[in-house]
Amino acid sequence: MEEDEFLGEKTFQHYCAEFIKHSQQIGDGWEWRTSKDCSDGYMCKIHFQIKNGTVVSYPGTSTHVQTCLPMEEALELPLDDSEVTEATAATEVIKYEYHVLYSCSYQVPVLYFRASFLDGRPFSLKDIWEGVHECYKTRLQQGPWDTITQQEHPILGQPFFVLHPCKTNEFMTPVLKNSRKINRNVNYITSWLSIVGPVVGLNLPLSYARAASQNE
Amino acid sequence: MAEQPEAVLPLPPSGAADGEGPTDVSPGTATPEPPSSAAVSPGTEEPAGDTKKKIDILLKAVGDTPIMKTKKWAVERTRTIQGLIDFIKKFLKLVASEQLFIYVNQSFAPSPDQEVGTLYECFGSDGKLVLHYCKSQAWG
Repeated sequence: MEEDEFLGEKTFQHYCAEFIKHSQQIGDGWEWRTSKDCSDGYMCKIHFQIKNGTVVSYPGTSTHVQTCLPMEEALELPLDDSEVTEATAATEVIKYEYHVLYSCSYQVPVLYFRASFLDGRPFSLKDIWEGVHECYKTRLQQGPWDTITQQEHPILGQPFFVLHPCKTNEFMTPVLKNSRKINRNVNYITSWLSIVGPVVGLNLPLSYARAASQNE
Repeated sequence: MAEQPEAVLPLPPSGAADGEGPTDVSPGTATPEPPSSAAVSPGTEEPAGDTKKKIDILLKAVGDTPIMKTKKWAVERTRTIQGLIDFIKKFLKLVASEQLFIYVNQSFAPSPDQEVGTLYECFGSDGKLVLHYCKSQAWG
């Protein structure tokens, strides 16, 4: 990798592979997908959330774990399937879908995402903005169109929301430079996703932090 | 107007006067609070002893971010990353639109709702939690 902090596509795929390895270890639900036509691939994760903020443990998908305890730790919300599909007026289940793609033009990863209700009604851009964490609302309000926009997914061709990547390099560079100083290997994808994910409701379990520094 | 920076992170008054010096926590203490009295007697106004306990945090600047004059802070376990970010931003007099990121292990940004107590238990060593902070424009 060059001394500037741009990410080559092969390196991107390598870091994604490492990331997914850990995801599999803790059952976090990320997987790699390729399109049939080309060798491009991306990381993908789906998770379901009840609108009042409670996280649903749904078989086959990811869960939030806010501690770094080993994966054998039972989750706090063992729910039946039936409980999940019961959407009363007071609570609704939302399906979030996150994709991590590589941007050739920016040479950085980009986060694509979309959300919908279980009946298929998609989230609007306004819904998405409302869901942004308090922490980032000010910045979002100052330049909403610079932050989250709607674009066509480069591989699927469907409309997704995108967290704009043009400043990615700026905030990644100090982190990477710093780690390099102490000879610590950093998984670019892990660091990057830990920073941008929370803006759109994606929180990485802490065990990723440990895993990243162990791959030396 | 700014409060005199002491070692204790300014918090709403809750009688938190026990964390004067940064040497509150004995080195190597990584286990959670000892079992407090099983039943907190009703009518007790103060929170249970364990939630008042503070952890030591050492803040280190990354990149061009201004360095804080006071680097070592005693922080309540339940303080969130977002709370810490807000505090550092105020301390460094950053404008609201500037983003500040906090990292553990120098590489991983915990989510804003993560409590520092949990981070201390996972990543603390030598009786303290080292957090790096970095100012940056993140989007746009």
